[in-house]
Amino acid sequence: MNRRMLAIPIAAIGALALALTGCSSGGSSAEGDPNAEFEFWSFTGIGQQESVDRYLEKNPDAKVKLSEVGSTTETATALTAALAGGKVPDLVMIQNDDLPKFVENPGNFIDLRTLGGDDIGDDYLDWAIDAATGEDGSIIGIPTDVGGLSFAYRADLFEAAGLPTDPEEVAEMWSTWDGFIEMGKKYTAATGQPFVDNVETTVFFATVNQVSEKYYSDDGELIFDSNPQVEEAFQVAVDTYEAGISAGIAAWSSGWAPGKANGAFAVTTAPSWILSGLKNDAPDTEGKWRIASIPGVGGNWGGSVIAIPARADNPEAAWQYIDTMLSPEGQTEHFADTGTMPAAKGALESEDVLSYTDPFFGDSAIGKVMSDSVLQFNSFYNGPDTSAIGGALLNALVDMEVGNVLPADAWKTGVDSAKAAIGG
Amino acid sequence: MSVTATAIPIQKRSGHPRPQRRRIRSSLAERIAPYAYVAPFFVIFAIFGLFPLLFTFYVALFDWNPIGEQTFVGFANFERLFADPRFWNAFVNTFGIFLISTIPQLLLALVLAHLLNHARLKWANFFRMSLLVPYITSVAATALVFGQIFDKNFGLLNWILEIFGLPSVNLLASQVGSWVVISAMVMWRWFGYNALLYLAGLQAIPREMYEAASVDGASSWQQFIHLTIPSLRPIIIFTVIMSTIGGLQIFTEPLLVAPETGLTCGAGRQCQTLSLFLYEQGFGQFEFGYGSAIGVALFVIVVVAALINFFLSTRTRGGN
Repeated sequence: MNRRMLAIPIAAIGALALALTGCSSGGSSAEGDPNAEFEFWSFTGIGQQESVDRYLEKNPDAKVKLSEVGSTTETATALTAALAGGKVPDLVMIQNDDLPKFVENPGNFIDLRTLGGDDIGDDYLDWAIDAATGEDGSIIGIPTDVGGLSFAYRADLFEAAGLPTDPEEVAEMWSTWDGFIEMGKKYTAATGQPFVDNVETTVFFATVNQVSEKYYSDDGELIFDSNPQVEEAFQVAVDTYEAGISAGIAAWSSGWAPGKANGAFAVTTAPSWILSGLKNDAPDTEGKWRIASIPGVGGNWGGSVIAIPARADNPEAAWQYIDTMLSPEGQTEHFADTGTMPAAKGALESEDVLSYTDPFFGDSAIGKVMSDSVLQFNSFYNGPDTSAIGGALLNALVDMEVGNVLPADAWKTGVDSAKAAIGG
Repeated sequence: MSVTATAIPIQKRSGHPRPQRRRIRSSLAERIAPYAYVAPFFVIFAIFGLFPLLFTFYVALFDWNPIGEQTFVGFANFERLFADPRFWNAFVNTFGIFLISTIPQLLLALVLAHLLNHARLKWANFFRMSLLVPYITSVAATALVFGQIFDKNFGLLNWILEIFGLPSVNLLASQVGSWVVISAMVMWRWFGYNALLYLAGLQAIPREMYEAASVDGASSWQQFIHLTIPSLRPIIIFTVIMSTIGGLQIFTEPLLVAPETGLTCGAGRQCQTLSLFLYEQGFGQFEFGYGSAIGVALFVIVVVAALINFFLSTRTRGGN
């Protein structure tokens, strides 16, 4: 008896809940209206509000609810939770490292070809569009920006060590990784100081992306442990360490910011988004830093795409934002506003980008160097385990630098922990 | 109420339960009321405690991608877990940190409680209250401060070593070193709390027993071993079990001890505990099935450890 009596109120509550949710999804009268309010999830610290303000200037009738969710990882985590069964935003930014696991299930997002036509990807860097393209050919994200990659070096310390200081001469001298290590040895011999901050982010992140196939083959097979290109890229980092020219100061560790200020190392990695941090960490070194192309050919670290979840309430409004703001012209304008490296080919070849310099970096040709690095960047397939494998290999190098792993064992250690990470 | 309550067994014993039972049934509200009063806890526990626990067991049997497919894989997650060196590494780390932090902590708390219980101690209340300060400090704040003390570049410890002309140490880079740092944090936070529990127990022991022991010629050490410890046994069992449950689930300290170490607590996973490994797999890699399997394993480990504790602690009574 009791059980039946309980069942009635429970059924009533259930029906009420159904009615309420039914109401809210069926009751959105703004369906299809490109100026309806849409919810936009972005990262903190990238000044997204400026772009939104610019958009509202162009479309005074539009309404945007911007949420700066958190770091790139936190935003991806929140998006995963939302896609798994919560309220999804209408528009969301996804950082390239987090992208593969979303691309693996393209059904969670609107295929943007349905909104913008089949040639929607043609304006953007091939590798950036490839990264957002699902196995079924659907394009789930439009690239908003790329990281680019260069090296920043201290011209004053180079001069004291008898090395060239002009960015073009430096880039010429370290055009190969062997040349880079040779320069480092000269520098360390002359000054007694380490040349490069660390080998994992500055060397390995650069070398491992100068490949034609990375951890996966083009048809999606895992080949990280047998691909000679990956092992060679890893070996360059080990060689750099064994040459005794690394300070062993991990990026973002407590010694990194002071190291940039006090000359504990002369070279550090410099994707475009790191430059403002370098200025903040070492304001007294103004005019002493230079930006040069990295050894080898091409590079990139970072970048994002923007996507519309399949369950979005107002996809048309979100699409209007993409259409307005992410065209080559829109990205050129955004670069002028914020210095964010565009992902549209037209914008990368624009005068605004190519002529960009900064007195803090001795008026080095930053725009040209960054633009070249991403235009020369190879496209390769990244799968769902790319970041786990990359993390395992990187950690093996960090562990080598603190002395827990012998250089000769580092590759095996990295491969073993990558295998454990992917469960194989 | 109390009259009725005591009346029932008497009635039962005397063999006349019937009239009483009928009287109670007649008042339905009175019969349901006690359950209604305790219901909020059990309803909330069922939703936020029991259901997630059972659901974890269920998810552990799947290859569960939160935004993709969920495939039933049976016990494959557990097979993978037992073959995974990262799991055994986290297992060793968890017990290493647990032993280094708990044993000295409880001994220290016992000694401290003994001192604070001294009859002639001045400012006793001040000292007793100040023991709680570490406990009410946020774990995150504690972790950040300790992380800075032991930092390899600018830490207080290395600064002091430098003054004495000693080489600087990078404790967090090695396995045992990072255990020590995290254990120091745990001890700092919890020893005062446990000392207060012991102190409460000590104050419940009648002074006459010590006086009688002195008259019989027992030294203060003998008093401690044969009088204090046995009297405190229930509280010691409680603190040991609580420390075990807490120590085996340690999470925040290894997560926040250094900004660059991330979810692995160091490049070599030198201080990654089981909870942190669970979090890394579940919410870093989004392998919900594998993460749940780690959760189930952790649950079993904690239950087994608590049972072992319980039997060891109660066994000592027999030896008295």
